[in-house]
Amino acid sequence: MSAALIDGQKLSKVYATATGPLVALDNVSFEIKEGEFISLVGPSGCGKSTLLSILGGLEEKSDGTLILAGKHHDAPRPDLGMMFQTSVLFPWRTVRENVRLPGIILGLSAKQQAARCDELLDMVGLNGFGDRYPAELSGGMRQRVALARLLAHDPRVLLMDEPFGALDEFTRETMNVELLRIWEKTRKTVVFVTHNIGEAVFLSDRIFVMTPRPGRLEGIIEVDLPRPRRTDVMRDPRFSELVFDIRRMLGVDH
Amino acid sequence: MTIQATVDMIEPAPHAATIDRFIENERKKQFRKMLLNRALAAGFGIFVLLAWHIATTGGFVHALIIPSPAATFHATLRVMGADYFWPNVWVTLQEILWGFALGLASGVILGVGVAMFETVRATIYPYLVALQAPPKIVLAPIFITWFGFDMASKIAIAVVMSFFPMFLNTLTGLSSVDPNAVKLMRSLTAGRWKTFRYLLLPNALPIMMAGVKLCWTLAVLGVIVGEFVGASAGIGYLIYAMNFQLDIAGVFSLIIILSLFTLIVYQLIEWLESRVIFWKQL
Repeated sequence: MSAALIDGQKLSKVYATATGPLVALDNVSFEIKEGEFISLVGPSGCGKSTLLSILGGLEEKSDGTLILAGKHHDAPRPDLGMMFQTSVLFPWRTVRENVRLPGIILGLSAKQQAARCDELLDMVGLNGFGDRYPAELSGGMRQRVALARLLAHDPRVLLMDEPFGALDEFTRETMNVELLRIWEKTRKTVVFVTHNIGEAVFLSDRIFVMTPRPGRLEGIIEVDLPRPRRTDVMRDPRFSELVFDIRRMLGVDH
Repeated sequence: MTIQATVDMIEPAPHAATIDRFIENERKKQFRKMLLNRALAAGFGIFVLLAWHIATTGGFVHALIIPSPAATFHATLRVMGADYFWPNVWVTLQEILWGFALGLASGVILGVGVAMFETVRATIYPYLVALQAPPKIVLAPIFITWFGFDMASKIAIAVVMSFFPMFLNTLTGLSSVDPNAVKLMRSLTAGRWKTFRYLLLPNALPIMMAGVKLCWTLAVLGVIVGEFVGASAGIGYLIYAMNFQLDIAGVFSLIIILSLFTLIVYQLIEWLESRVIFWKQL
């Protein structure tokens, strides 16, 4: 048995389409340790979102083995949390009620959840916004609520599908800094999908570089930048080196 | 702090006063615009009434065909004061409310069934859609034969007419959901019931409320049509009978009373809607 929290071996995913089988994920193998921050980077169609869905137990793999915390994994589990590109807040629930949704669905103690909700809103910088409705918040604030909701049931693994992809560049950067701050506090295992190479380098311990048609794991980049990281890490020559290594791997250097 | 204080000292009052004046002006402009819009609507109403009055009293249209506004008003008082009026209103009211309630309930129940259970959808959905092909009014004579001249046949027609929009809007509402929201619920291990209770149902309410409004107007339509085809009581029956007796002013008054009633309930549903889907107003 390996020490890895998540162990994926020879994972493949094939979709049956009208024009024949489509290989979304081709023979992908990796290990993720507890507490690691992993990014999946690649252009559209490289299978990064498919891989994330398989990790979340939302999609069935066509082949290969996936072990999570020592057990075969093929269905949603309460120790996973998902976040998406859109905030997916329910507009009829207040900020607080949205953050408490996972606790309600999973039947967690209401008293504990109430205290935890306040703590989380504080953590994401939304103290005092608990009784607002999502329609009253800006895009960045909504993603903060989504982040608080992600942490509400204290999942062991955070699966984040381009969570800041729809935000403007400035808000995205602020959210990256916030996410790192929160991650350093909680040390959750994170799998973070993005097509923004700089974002991946800034956040991650390791980066899975993926290429499309068929979706393959081209290579894994170890990010040896010191932590805790602040935005000035982007001035580090090593930062641009890593960015360019990944660009070369993806074949986007012209 | 000190800088702020200095700035405040240099130009405090003139600035604030300018903004106050600006806001005051904006408010006045908006108020004038609102008054103008009201005046336009009221003016048009008066114009139509006047045209109606001139056309009918000036000898352009025979009073038997179109009664004057004054004659219609007097007829309304006469009809509402008559002994036969309220018992007939009561019959129609019961028919409409029953038809509306049953049409609404069956639409919601079947809509939820078809949306939530694949087997139900596969089994009955094609038939529910096919049943919509003929105009439902053709069923009215058959329903009279089946259920008789009393309330049951009118209720049946109202149900058949009002059911489909409620069914379709429930189904559409439950189906038009953000796929990521469904993913979120699945990732939280929510089952069918919890997904319905916390996501699908509240998400469907705006479209369902639009269905309720359609359901209401069609229930009224169904009952009146049923009373035209064969009845011994009700507003539709009265309209039919008065028309036959060439009491056109009476017919007009009944149409106005019926319209007002439908409209008031419609407004009530809209008010309820704004309460139920409060987040749309945010």
